[in-house]
Amino acid sequence: MDAYGKIFVVVAVLAVILVGIFIYLFSIDRKVRKMEEELHEKSTNKKK
Amino acid sequence: MFSGFSQIVVNITFIVCIPLFTYSCIKIKMSMLKKDWWKYLSGVLLLYAIVVGFFVDIPDSMIHQTMRNLFYHVGMWFGMFSMLITGFIYSLRYLRKFKEAEDLVAVEAVNVGLMFGFLGIFTGMIWANFTWGSPWVKDPKLNGAAVGLFIYLAYMILRGSIDDVQKRAKVSAVYNIFAFFLWIVFVLILPRISGESIHPGKDSPPVLPMHLEPSMRFVFYPAMIGWILLGFWIMNLRVRLRKVRLKLDS
Repeated sequence: MDAYGKIFVVVAVLAVILVGIFIYLFSIDRKVRKMEEELHEKSTNKKK
Repeated sequence: MFSGFSQIVVNITFIVCIPLFTYSCIKIKMSMLKKDWWKYLSGVLLLYAIVVGFFVDIPDSMIHQTMRNLFYHVGMWFGMFSMLITGFIYSLRYLRKFKEAEDLVAVEAVNVGLMFGFLGIFTGMIWANFTWGSPWVKDPKLNGAAVGLFIYLAYMILRGSIDDVQKRAKVSAVYNIFAFFLWIVFVLILPRISGESIHPGKDSPPVLPMHLEPSMRFVFYPAMIGWILLGFWIMNLRVRLRKVRLKLDS
């Protein structure tokens, strides 16, 4: 590993950032999905 | 560049694939994208690109280790181009049946494309500062990319200037189709035929970097697919948010 001059520290940081961004995107995705479901329920209730 | 035969094969592949791809994109069902599998795939591919991209063997060249930027800087342009194609296709679809939902996809695709474009320009400036000694050099490719960004910024301004929803959608769809071809001319064609560009990548057709080391291809292509899928994901989120807002307003 030393042949790379400790580059793996940078790789680890980048990997953490990327995983963080993806977790964030998934949480936004979940929020949007909840909103969509709520809207869908409301519109079906109105029709009844 | 290429020998005569491989040039013919590449040309035929492009001539056959582009209409086929466009047609299948027009016919594809949106329900296929409602599943989550491609979002996980994008995460896995990008994680692979970041981890393996730093350790894969690269050829020794004048730009040393910065060659690895290829996996990330070029990915921005792949992301932008795929978003612009999506915007183009959805503008065509809008003009066919005048459904408002298709106009929404077109505008959000261009939005995400612009984000990728600016990231591509900024990452390119960092790389150019090291390679060519200045963040911006007088180069057809760089100026073409800047003009391409302005063309799409003009699309956003055009949309903002029309109040009537139907009219805005129609005018901007027509402009978007026009802008897409202009973008191709400025970014993909003019830098090649000017013959002066020092920006690499002009010796091979777009999307197919023929001179890439085989070891780098194993990272390059997964990375590009990962960036493209990430773009589609962000676009998907923005479109859904807009639709929720539309429903709330109505």
